[in-house]
Amino acid sequence: MSRLLDRGLEELTTTLLKMGDVAEKTVRTATAGFMDGKSVSDDVRELSELLLMMTVSVEDKAFELIMRYQPVASDLRIINSYMKIAYDFERFGRYSLDISLTHQKFAYSEKCAYAWDLMETLIDKVMLMIRTSIEALKDNNGEMTKSLAKIENEVDDMFSAYLDKLSKAPPDAKCTICTALVAKYLERIADHATYVGEAIYYIANGQKISLR
Amino acid sequence: MAKVDIRNLNVWFKENHVLKDVSLTIRENAVTAVMGPSGCGKTTLIRAINRMNDVISGSRSSGELFIDGKNVYDSNTNVYELRRKVGMVFQKPNPFPKSIFENVAFGVKIHKMATDKKLSEIVQTSLTEAALWDEVRNRLNDSAFSLSGGQQQRLCIARALAVEPEVILMDEPCSALDPAATAKIEGLMRSLSERYTVIVVTHNLQQAARVSDFTAFMYVGQLIEYGDTNSVFENPKNETTEKYITGKFG
Repeated sequence: MSRLLDRGLEELTTTLLKMGDVAEKTVRTATAGFMDGKSVSDDVRELSELLLMMTVSVEDKAFELIMRYQPVASDLRIINSYMKIAYDFERFGRYSLDISLTHQKFAYSEKCAYAWDLMETLIDKVMLMIRTSIEALKDNNGEMTKSLAKIENEVDDMFSAYLDKLSKAPPDAKCTICTALVAKYLERIADHATYVGEAIYYIANGQKISLR
Repeated sequence: MAKVDIRNLNVWFKENHVLKDVSLTIRENAVTAVMGPSGCGKTTLIRAINRMNDVISGSRSSGELFIDGKNVYDSNTNVYELRRKVGMVFQKPNPFPKSIFENVAFGVKIHKMATDKKLSEIVQTSLTEAALWDEVRNRLNDSAFSLSGGQQQRLCIARALAVEPEVILMDEPCSALDPAATAKIEGLMRSLSERYTVIVVTHNLQQAARVSDFTAFMYVGQLIEYGDTNSVFENPKNETTEKYITGKFG
């Protein structure tokens, strides 16, 4: 016979997995808009606000479950981690909105073409991290999250190298600011993807690890 | 520092093997909770500490149980002195049909531990330690039965404290109490652990999590897991413990 708590946990899991899909879609929409030179800030804002509402919904449900059932052990780890993951997904949305607003503010410039390969690679890596963290969440697979550490290091290194490059020979002020900010937002999304991974690892293994 | 050291303890009641090779070291000045389903042997375990099982017909035991390095199952152990040193509080408050004062003074008189003059001081100290003095100071000659359930339980704790124990065993001390009275006893367990070694048997998992420094989980007479309470409730090592505390048994 299932426990009353199980129904609540199921509801929480369903909401969080939906959030993961929305978060992934939000980042994809913002980054595609950036790469394609299209203004997508309205769409991204809507998705970002949806993520914010879903975060509140996860928090409310989590508090309700704690209040009603005083969960312990794996149940408590799940609830604690889901609250953290919901926050990370919400941050995906916020940084995606920052990307689209930054792009809108500085407008697309042909002169930025020199950065496109790097931005494309950064985006691919970040999207891979997001997908990996969501798949790990769906499968409750702590081991899967370990691959995030390597990609996150690569993202950090690329970001750092890009800043070095810009500081030495800034090609165009608008492009410099725009691409540096977008790269920073992508780097922060990558950080949050690793936080998701750490939370999933904690659920699965009961150990708090750092993937950074 | 270890106060109670249990090694390979087995207890039988006639043919029923109730405790199976239990080994456990209980820390001094801490609250240790013993939890587990009904019939798992947790009450038998704490009753073994002051040899209360001896009074049950057909009981026998093997193994060793040290308090401060002395095996209480040695043939030369003074069992009365042991039970003074290891006090016990039961599930249901069981005051004697006497006044509040006499309930606390009773053990002191039996053990001839004080003069009449000193007795009043001991009663006051014990009631204060049991967080009951302020509520009863003006009615010490009233019957103990005039107190509420929660007050009666604190009176029983005061009675145990009066004979200067070192270890206090509590067997489901809050199971008959309402939440407010339970909260008082739980607060008391924490404060008592500064001076005494407190061992509490409880069915209430949340109570174990709230009050204890260490938690032991027992199942069918065996000690399944023992560790600091945070670890046991956050990330139990044993799958049976995980199933029990999350309610996934059966």
